[in-house]
Amino acid sequence: MTTTIQETDERIIAILSGELDTAAAAQTEKDLQPLLDSMGKEIVLDCKELEYISSSGLRVLLSILKQAQSVGSRVVLKNVNDVIHDVLDISGFISIFDIE
Amino acid sequence: MVSLKNSWLYRVGLVVLAAVMVEILSIVQYNRVREALLQETELRSRVVMNSMSEVIQHSLERTEITMRENLWNVKRSMAHPDSVFSAVIRLIDDDPNAVGGCLAFKPNYYPSKGRLFEPYASLQPDGSIRVEQIAGPGHDYTLNEEYIWVLENRCTSWTDPYKYGPDSLAFTTYLSPIYDEKGEIEAVCGIDIDLSWLGDTLNVRQPYPSSFGLLLTQEGDLVAGPPESRIPASEVQKVVDLLKGVVSESEAPGISYTSTRLFKDPYWRIVEVYKTDEVFARVRRQRHQQLLFIILGLAILAFMINRYARNERNLRVASEEKARMGAELEVAHRIQQQMLPKTFPPFVYGSLEPALEVGGDLFDFYTRDGKLFFCIGDVSGKGVPSAMLMSVAHSLFRILSHKIDSPSKVLEYMNKELCRGNDSNMFITFFVGCLDLYSGELRFSNAGHDRPFVVTKDINLLSCKSNLPLAVFPATQYEEQSCTLEPGTLLLLYTDGLTEAKNMDRKAFGRPRIQEVLEQFRTNDDPSLYNLVSTLSEAAHAFAGAAPQSDDLTMLALRFDADHIRRDQITLFNQEAEVARLGTFIKDFLAPLELDKKQAAGIRLALEEAVVNVIKYAYPAGEQGEVLVNADTNGQEVRFTITDSGYPFDPTTVLEPDTTLDAQNRPIGGLGILLSRRLMDSISYSRKDAKNVLSLTKFIL
Repeated sequence: MTTTIQETDERIIAILSGELDTAAAAQTEKDLQPLLDSMGKEIVLDCKELEYISSSGLRVLLSILKQAQSVGSRVVLKNVNDVIHDVLDISGFISIFDIE
Repeated sequence: MVSLKNSWLYRVGLVVLAAVMVEILSIVQYNRVREALLQETELRSRVVMNSMSEVIQHSLERTEITMRENLWNVKRSMAHPDSVFSAVIRLIDDDPNAVGGCLAFKPNYYPSKGRLFEPYASLQPDGSIRVEQIAGPGHDYTLNEEYIWVLENRCTSWTDPYKYGPDSLAFTTYLSPIYDEKGEIEAVCGIDIDLSWLGDTLNVRQPYPSSFGLLLTQEGDLVAGPPESRIPASEVQKVVDLLKGVVSESEAPGISYTSTRLFKDPYWRIVEVYKTDEVFARVRRQRHQQLLFIILGLAILAFMINRYARNERNLRVASEEKARMGAELEVAHRIQQQMLPKTFPPFVYGSLEPALEVGGDLFDFYTRDGKLFFCIGDVSGKGVPSAMLMSVAHSLFRILSHKIDSPSKVLEYMNKELCRGNDSNMFITFFVGCLDLYSGELRFSNAGHDRPFVVTKDINLLSCKSNLPLAVFPATQYEEQSCTLEPGTLLLLYTDGLTEAKNMDRKAFGRPRIQEVLEQFRTNDDPSLYNLVSTLSEAAHAFAGAAPQSDDLTMLALRFDADHIRRDQITLFNQEAEVARLGTFIKDFLAPLELDKKQAAGIRLALEEAVVNVIKYAYPAGEQGEVLVNADTNGQEVRFTITDSGYPFDPTTVLEPDTTLDAQNRPIGGLGILLSRRLMDSISYSRKDAKNVLSLTKFIL
């Protein structure tokens, strides 16, 4: 599981790659910490290369969303594949994230 | 409603028309009969009158003859006045009709006897004859019209009827002149005839009670009529007056008569009187009877028309009803068919070919917890009632076997339920089996159904106890049996629609023929169960030929297929890092099944969530524990069993989190179990030997 962060003036893009399972969740949460420091910018999570996500991974996404919302930032999930979409669907996360 | 009214009017109109026609016919016929009858009556009275006139004429002639034959004797006796008396007595003696005889001499014929002399003999009631000289101042015969008439006309004559007094009999007298040598009339001889016998003779045989005969003078006065005892004199007088023209016809209505006249003196009229009413009374009575019969006939006809129309209507309603029933049966049939499984894994195939109408056959199967539950059944009888009972049995099987693993228990509960309110005494033969798709263990219980075939390297019937069928007796205990099938073993279940498929000679298909087909099937190029069932069906149909299929033909074939059975296991420690190893284990195990990415990811996620749950919470913090994960597949499903020795915990009872809340209120926990449940087909938990055993199954077909 690797995380790459790219920052522009308007947004911060995090490219998630690999499998965000329980084992990888803690590390990923640390890797995504910069997203929470860039106050006010739009956060984009690019899931193009994300192959798998567990409930621990969902928890990481949820904590980012909660904090972003508290400072008025938008969180957008981009390029979500079928597998991930299914999990978002079952967990009801589809309704709280902006999915593009 | 309109057509109903019309048809009603139509029918009534028809009957009325028929009635009117019959009445017209009846009237025409009546008038014809009446006419004919009148003619007949007239003819008959003419015949009667003719014979009567002959009788009367004859008897009058008899008197005339008596007179002629006695004239010489009378003339001879005139030589002496005293001998005249014996001559008049002889007149009575010689004529049976005569009641009196007289000889009236010209005045002063015998100077010794005075001016008038008329010796007279009369028949007395006692039969004696009285003789007397009756002429005198009170009886001057020279003034008598008849006497004068004979003198003037010098010929014989019959007098008009007369009476001596109000109570005396009516008489008529035949008068004959007696001449002297010079041709001068010396005396007039008379023979009295009592007329009452004439009346009796005329009325001796009358065709109707109120008809009577009359004898009238030329002037129309009554000579003789019916006796007073038969017709009242006033009645007779009325007719006499009518004939005379004294009374008009309107005063004596309904009276008809025919008359004839004696062809010589006294030229009396014989009249036959009858009442028209009476003549037609019988005809009218007949007509009334006839009318009554006709009306009765018409009523029956109307009734029949009505019945016919009603039957017609009923028939139409019945055929509509039948068509509707047919449509409903078709629906019932479709529903029944829809309840049967339609998709088959390679190790099961079943088919139900219904007979013409809906039947009571059933087969069903499904897999649960790595076990194949299956059944086959046959309700006694055919038609909707048995189909309905079978539907109930089907539902019961589904509901009960979802909770109960034991086939005998399933049968027991089904039986109890089916016995309730089974008033129609239908029963069901039923076979329930449960095949462990991993071990090949077959548990089964039989409620009076045909024993299935077991095909290994031999072909045998499954040795099973035959218990009572379902719905017979509520307390029936169903014995459960078990055996272990070798991999590749084939099981064929069927209903008697197969064994008892009849050909035109009423011979049954029978088990030996099934066995033959099974024998051949072992070397068949296509070992699929579909092929087996179709081959059997074709064989049965070929055997039956043109004979119609009388019963549902139902078969269920299954095979314990061990080719795809695979097992693996991994033991993990209660550390989150172990999840990576689990991931690899699962991926490796699923790889040969060649699942699509989404399904494989789903299975892995479900397992990961379940295992993470154990790793995190099963053991006290800091204590090392193990998690055993077993993986099984039989080609149709994958089954994972997670076993740990931690705190007793049943994740299947945990409430699901609310997935509709917004981000701020969304709880962090509980998502894992939700995902496990949603992504697998079934999850079951059990606590065995102080261990939590969680089983997750996913069908992969």
